[in-house]
Parts: sequence; structure tokens; C-alpha cells
Amino acid sequence: MTINFNREKTSARSLDLNHGQFAESMIEIRGLQFAYPDGTSVIGDISQSVPIGSTLGVVGPSGCGKSTLLAIIAGLLTPTGGSIELPLKGSDHQLAMLFQQDTVLPWLTVRANVALFARFKSHGLRPSIFRNFARNRNVLRDPALRKRVDELLALVDLSNLADRYPYQLSGGQRRRLAFLTAVAPEPRILLLDEPLSSLDEPTRVGVHQDMFRISRLMGMTIILVTHDLAEAISLSDRVVVLSKAPSSISFEHDVPFGSERNMLELRNTPEFLQLYGDVWENLSAQMVKD
Amino acid sequence: MDATVVRKRKSSAWTIWSLRAVVLAFFLLGWQYVPQITGLRHISPIFNPFFVSSPSRVAILLYQLSFAKDGQTYVWPFLANTLKATFIGVAIGSLLGAFFGLIVSNNARTRQVLSPFIVFFNSAPRIAFVPIFVIIAGATLTANILTAVIVIFFLVFYNAYSGGSSVPAVVVNNARILGASSREIMWQIRLPYVFVWTFASMPNAISFGIVAVVTAEILDGTKGMGQLLSQSIASVDATLTFSVVVLLSIVGALLVGIAEWIEKRTLHWWQPIQ
Repeated sequence: MTINFNREKTSARSLDLNHGQFAESMIEIRGLQFAYPDGTSVIGDISQSVPIGSTLGVVGPSGCGKSTLLAIIAGLLTPTGGSIELPLKGSDHQLAMLFQQDTVLPWLTVRANVALFARFKSHGLRPSIFRNFARNRNVLRDPALRKRVDELLALVDLSNLADRYPYQLSGGQRRRLAFLTAVAPEPRILLLDEPLSSLDEPTRVGVHQDMFRISRLMGMTIILVTHDLAEAISLSDRVVVLSKAPSSISFEHDVPFGSERNMLELRNTPEFLQLYGDVWENLSAQMVKD
Repeated sequence: MDATVVRKRKSSAWTIWSLRAVVLAFFLLGWQYVPQITGLRHISPIFNPFFVSSPSRVAILLYQLSFAKDGQTYVWPFLANTLKATFIGVAIGSLLGAFFGLIVSNNARTRQVLSPFIVFFNSAPRIAFVPIFVIIAGATLTANILTAVIVIFFLVFYNAYSGGSSVPAVVVNNARILGASSREIMWQIRLPYVFVWTFASMPNAISFGIVAVVTAEILDGTKGMGQLLSQSIASVDATLTFSVVVLLSIVGALLVGIAEWIEKRTLHWWQPIQ
């Protein structure tokens, strides 16, 4: 399979995951604060630099502002203090987000969903696209787009389900499709908000493997918010633990597992278990704090 | 599919249709013969054939109305007028209702501004507008169409508005993050949901459309099934009344069936995912 994801900017010059060295920052979070209009402070003070092509795992107690952090980065909320900078903001499609809930469009087939989101990269969401996609049979007249969508579908084993509708897929297949629609526009930054919490454990580990492989292949910079510590450690290059609201970073640790990971084997290694224990110890300490 | 399952489903469908036939038979037999028990007539007028006619008389009259000979009333021009006004009224009312439902569901400011006016007009007895429509358009088909439009508009509008508002917030946010504007979200994301909810209101819209047109015909006296009903009231002809009602019910059920068939064909993706 030949896939060119046009990611020279995330090549070795900026990223050397095997040695944990990141040359440039993709996301700079500086003294971030957020409070609701009624004065309830959710994020107290968060600063973090996320290097190009790396994955930052964020865990913390319920209500500490994990999802709020992503919403601010996505531009859905405005911070009340501090700043978020995207130093390499450029012409390429910048940012996508994978939510806990379904965002696939139920009236389109698997193939049409991926194609629609893939075309965001160059077209945006224009009415002309809707006309093309209103009828699934008219989808993908462009051979180059069709080829690209086929390649994307093959990445997560959805090729043989391409003409099905979302309701005809299993939970794991739907999550794979949702992930594919998020990465189809080739975002430079991908925000994952508890993306697999609805899945059972074996399915989740299988999707982890796909997500990790594809995110590395495409060189995306990822912030992953999750309440699943194993998921955070498995997929991330650095894990941070947030304190209770108003939150700040109470613990951070680099994950030294490189860019070739077998999700099943990884979980049995002493290093993984040690790191899991450290993160859990800190997280549980945050949860019992007043 | 497993052959046993197919057989069971066919058997189940046959049972349901048989039971429906039994219910219909009981109803028709009761209607035909209970009013003939003279001892019951002093209890209530519904046990008097003069007031409730009978299915056999209705069937005979429907036959005569359908295949009228010289000088007899021929029902089809009346039905055609009523259906024409209903079709046009349902089409215009549904399109306008769906469009404004889409617009209002997509824009919080518009919703805030228009909300009290919508509630006011929806609460108004819309059939009362018929005299105004007659003044504007005369006692014509147009007045009947306008009556159907105003009745159906609000029905569909509320459904379309609910549909547009039911789009999950994450779907809208996802589109926003990917750079979609408010207008693009309206046409790309909300519109299919509005379609679904608009189709869901079609059976009611058709029924209300027929009622609105017939009522308008009764009030303005234009040619249609409403005019036949007026005649039946004037001549105290229960058989004619029931014949018109039965014919309109059959036509209404057929139209609803067609609407549901179209809904299943075009919105097959919706039902299972819910």
C-alpha cells in the first residue's frame, strides 16, 4: 500500500520518538485558566508544551476540566486566562477532534463518511459537497479521492464494510470509522476526548493498536483525554495528571516505549506496570484530596 | 435469513391480518344489525338507522356516487377538488414549515425573537381564518389551499424545528472545529435531521390537511367533499354523510400509506440507529 500523508514536517527533523526527543512544539499551553460565567473555576493554571508528532495523555479526577481543556484548544470555549499557541499554524488543515459520542453522519455510508471528511482538507464544508454526497451512489467520482478513501478504509479493516451504513456496524467498527473521519482531513493536531470509553476492553485494545499505528504514520500531534490509565500510557509519549478543579498539573511522566508498540504485549511489561502504578498512585492521591 | 424465522414472520403477519378482518367484520355487523333492534332506539339515537345509516346503504350509495348515471351526483369531481387542495396545501405547508423550522433551529437569536409570535399564531384557531381567505381569494380553491397551508405549516414547523434542534451537539461542534460556518452546518448537518422529523409529521399533516380543506369547503361552499357534507346535513342524509366520511378515510389512509412507504425508502438509515 502506498500512502503519502504529506507529513514531511513531522519527519525525523522534528521528531525522534525512539529517543524521546522532540525538536519543535506544536501546542504551547501557558498559564491556562478557565472559569464559568458564574465564577466557578475549572482550570486553575495549566502550562504544557506538546512537541510535534507526540501524544500527550491527560488523566485526572472527574470534573477537573480535562474535556474543557480540549474544548478550549479546539476553539469551542474561550479561556479566562493564559494562552494557547499553535506555533506552526499554517495552510494545512490544522485541527480535528474525536468525541466520546458518535459524530459520523448516519445518512451516509462508511465510504461516503470518510470521503466527506477527507474533502475537508481541500474544500471545507460547502453545499456543493452536500449535493455530491446527498446520494451515496454519486460519491467519489474523483478517482484520486476514491483511491485515498480506499486506502484509509484499509488502514482500519473497514474496506469490506464500505457500503454499509453506520447503524449496520458494531461498536468497535463505528469507533474505527469515527477515528477515520477525524484523521481523514489530515489534521496536524488531533484531540481525543475519551474516544473509546463506550467499548469493551478487548475491542478497545484492538482499536488502540490501529489508532497508534495510524497516528504515527500520519505524524499527528495528539492530546488524549481519558479516564483509562492503561489507554493513556499505551498511546502517549507523556502522561500528565490533573489535580481536582481548579486544576493544575500535579504529575507528569514521559512514557519511554518508543513508536513501535504492541498494545497487548506492552501491558505485561514491568515498565508499563511500574508506570501504571506511579500514575495511579498520584491520581488516587488527587481523588482523595479535599 | 433462517427459513424458520421467515415462516414465523409470515405466520405472524397472516395472524395479524386475520385478526384485523375479524375486528372489521364485528364492526360492520354491529353497525348493520344492532340499530335494527327496535327495542334499543329509545336508549340513544345511535341505535336508530335514520341517524347512523348502515354499511350496506353506505356501500350502495358509494357505488352510485362512483358510477353515477344521468342526473345523479358523481363523486369524483368533488373528491378531485378536495384532494387537489389537500395536495397543494400539504406540499406548500410542509415545505414552508420545514424551511422555517430549519432556519429557526439553526439560529438562537432568530428563535428568541420569533418564539412569542410563533406561540401566538399556533394558539389561534386557524380555521377562523377561512372568512379572511374567502375575502382575499373569493370562495375558490385558493382559499381552501390557504386554509390547509396555515394548518399544516405550524404542525410541520414544530416537528422540523425539533428535528433541527435534535442534532447532537458533538456533531455540530465537530463540524465547527473542521471549519464549517453556521450556514454550512444548517444545510449539511441539520437538514437531514429536519427531513426525518418532517417525514414523521406527514401522516398527521395529511390527515389535518384533509380536515382543513373539507372544513373550508363546508364554510365557503366551494365544490368538494365538504360541499357534499353540507348537502347531507341540509337534507339530513346520514347515508351520504357516512359515505363521504368513509371515502375520505380510505383516501386519507392510502395517502398516509404512500407517505410511510416513501419514508421507509428514503430514511431507512434513521430508524435502526435510534
